[in-house]
Amino acid sequence: MRKYLIVCFTCLMLLGLIACTAKTPPAAEIENPVIRLSTTTSVNDSGLLPYLQPHFEADTGYKLEITSAGTGAAIEKARTGDADCLLVHAKSSEEDFIGEGFGEERLPFMFNYFVIVGPADDPAGIKDAATAAEAFAAIANSGSKFVSRGDDSGTHVKEKNIWKDAGFDPAEEDWYISVGAGMGQTLTVADEELAYTLSDKATFLAHDNSLSLLKEEAEDMKNTYSLIAITPERWEDTNHAGALAFIEWITSGKALDLIDKYGIEEYGEPLFFSMR
Amino acid sequence: MIVLKDVKKVYDERIVLNIPHLVFDLTKRYALIGVNGSGKTTLLRILAGILKPDLGEVTSTSTNNMGYMPQSPYAFRFSVEKNVAIALDKEQVSKDQVLEALKAVGMDHLQHAYGNQLSGGETQRMALARMIVKPRNLLLLDEPTASADIRGTSQIEKALLKYADDNNCTLILSTHSPAQALRLVDEVLFLDEGRVIEQGPAEDVLHHPKHPVIQEFLDHWKI
Amino acid sequence: MDGLIKAINLLFGENPELRQIIAVTLRMSLISTSISSLVGIPLGALIGSREFKGKHWVQRFTNTLMGVPPVVAGLAVFLMLSRSGPLGSLKLLYSVTAMVIAQVVLITPIMTGLTATIISIPAPRIRETAQGVGISTWRQMGLMIYECRSQLVSTVLVGFGRAIAEVGAVQIVGGNVQYKTRVMTTAIMMQTNMGKFHFAISLGIVLLVISFGINALVNYLESRGNA
Repeated sequence: MRKYLIVCFTCLMLLGLIACTAKTPPAAEIENPVIRLSTTTSVNDSGLLPYLQPHFEADTGYKLEITSAGTGAAIEKARTGDADCLLVHAKSSEEDFIGEGFGEERLPFMFNYFVIVGPADDPAGIKDAATAAEAFAAIANSGSKFVSRGDDSGTHVKEKNIWKDAGFDPAEEDWYISVGAGMGQTLTVADEELAYTLSDKATFLAHDNSLSLLKEEAEDMKNTYSLIAITPERWEDTNHAGALAFIEWITSGKALDLIDKYGIEEYGEPLFFSMR
Repeated sequence: MIVLKDVKKVYDERIVLNIPHLVFDLTKRYALIGVNGSGKTTLLRILAGILKPDLGEVTSTSTNNMGYMPQSPYAFRFSVEKNVAIALDKEQVSKDQVLEALKAVGMDHLQHAYGNQLSGGETQRMALARMIVKPRNLLLLDEPTASADIRGTSQIEKALLKYADDNNCTLILSTHSPAQALRLVDEVLFLDEGRVIEQGPAEDVLHHPKHPVIQEFLDHWKI
Repeated sequence: MDGLIKAINLLFGENPELRQIIAVTLRMSLISTSISSLVGIPLGALIGSREFKGKHWVQRFTNTLMGVPPVVAGLAVFLMLSRSGPLGSLKLLYSVTAMVIAQVVLITPIMTGLTATIISIPAPRIRETAQGVGISTWRQMGLMIYECRSQLVSTVLVGFGRAIAEVGAVQIVGGNVQYKTRVMTTAIMMQTNMGKFHFAISLGIVLLVISFGINALVNYLESRGNA
């Protein structure tokens, strides 16, 4: 009985200690403070994640390690056990990934719009198109050059879907240039070749080129970003708790407000829109 | 006739050749004798036109067809035959001519051997074949038997004399050996520290030297 | 291990793109090595075969060019061929020709420098011997090149090895365009970034085999040359 009391007392003491330090969460309290976030270039290179990161780390005591690549590569990193949490934007790839049992659910939490950019004189006349599919059809019919990411990224997946909707399979066409590269280099090639390309808006605005923004905010150009916490069942050192903590934080009202504000200062308009 | 006037060659502030006046009469054969570093090679190179003197001038008449054989001639990494044939213009290469030259120096059995696999003495004999493969009126030879053994030496000397006689060719060669000079040439020039200290018929200079340096040099050859 | 098996299957299976990439790579490397050799070897022989005023500076300049980082050469060629560059009207950017140009810029100094070094070793003795029998300067140079032939063949192979393994410059001026300018190195980079490791491994194997073959050939030629 006495022993039992001592144990209870010790437990209470420990709980008290934890309660005292809870106001400034120390790393010691969290079993594994490092979260490996695998994400797509558009959210990292646009500056959104570097902007959110210090807020998240200060609020929770976790430490975020961000690696960015095309969505295809970002998902592959999670498959090989090199990530705890995914932030990507390619619905079909994400669903495949979950189907293989690597994650439990995808949680869409923000979106923005893809844009079609091209030479200022717009030889294919896509400005008047109502949808992205119409614009792509105009490009194909005019035989104007089109530069594709060709790297299985979210943007590339989106582009392929638009071609499908437009009723074209351009892969073997002469005017279709597949560069297998990130958004930045793809824009450089499009600029040099006087070609059209599909880009996320943030990277386009940050990239130095002479291309014009010709088409944006059509319904079929919506770009939805989702979160997936990787299951620890495949790789047991996966930081599942950390991933859940990050997802909880980034879907909180405070984080979503931050997302909606981001970009206004530099570009006069937000780059991402929260979903709530 | 070759005339040297006030010829000087300087390396790193050391005067290696200093010849106020020197005449080679092209009807005679000459040997340059002297110790290492006395200026024999420099003089031959200047005569061959490979080296330009720093001062003075060399004028020559009727030496339009000269050959110069360096002390360590280069043996190319191809057959001895071809090594000799480089001395001929491409159009006039004749196998018989090459073989004859090789025969003259006793190298015909090695005609298919590779140049870079020859011994030092064989290389010198091959180089001499290169010299005598076509008619020339002046041969400049820098210690042509330096790497050859007794037999090779006698072969080279025999070939040289025959060639010089047949082609009416002037010889100017350098050597360490007074005996060789006596066997091959009419005139001897004795060089010491870049200067010609005595010049005259081989017999006179080598048997009755006036200069003590020459006497000392000759004493080394006596056994 | 699984990736390796997949990679080997890919290599011997029906994948036209893999073979197409290998073909573009070989074409680019062969053409650029040939041009670099045709320019670099005579130029190197010219520098190495004779003594002239300022030779020291020419050699120093060549050595500097030999050390130019590939991406810097690539950037320079990119700026030249860019639509806004001085040669933009030729519309050569993102073509095999552009990659060949960048590689020629990179490899020619290497060929020149190595040739000059190789030739300058026997040059003084060959020159003296050749002048002694009245051989013209041009024929002397030919003799020197012929004399150093086995080392020069190694040099050509070194250039080829460099061309086939180079990634920075060809990525910048070639743009890694599918079916057009995608070569083994840029494809490996891309496939790795995309997480398609078995495709990257297949190309890696081919590249390794080629590099290994070239090295073996260089070693063989050098051992034969020294005999």
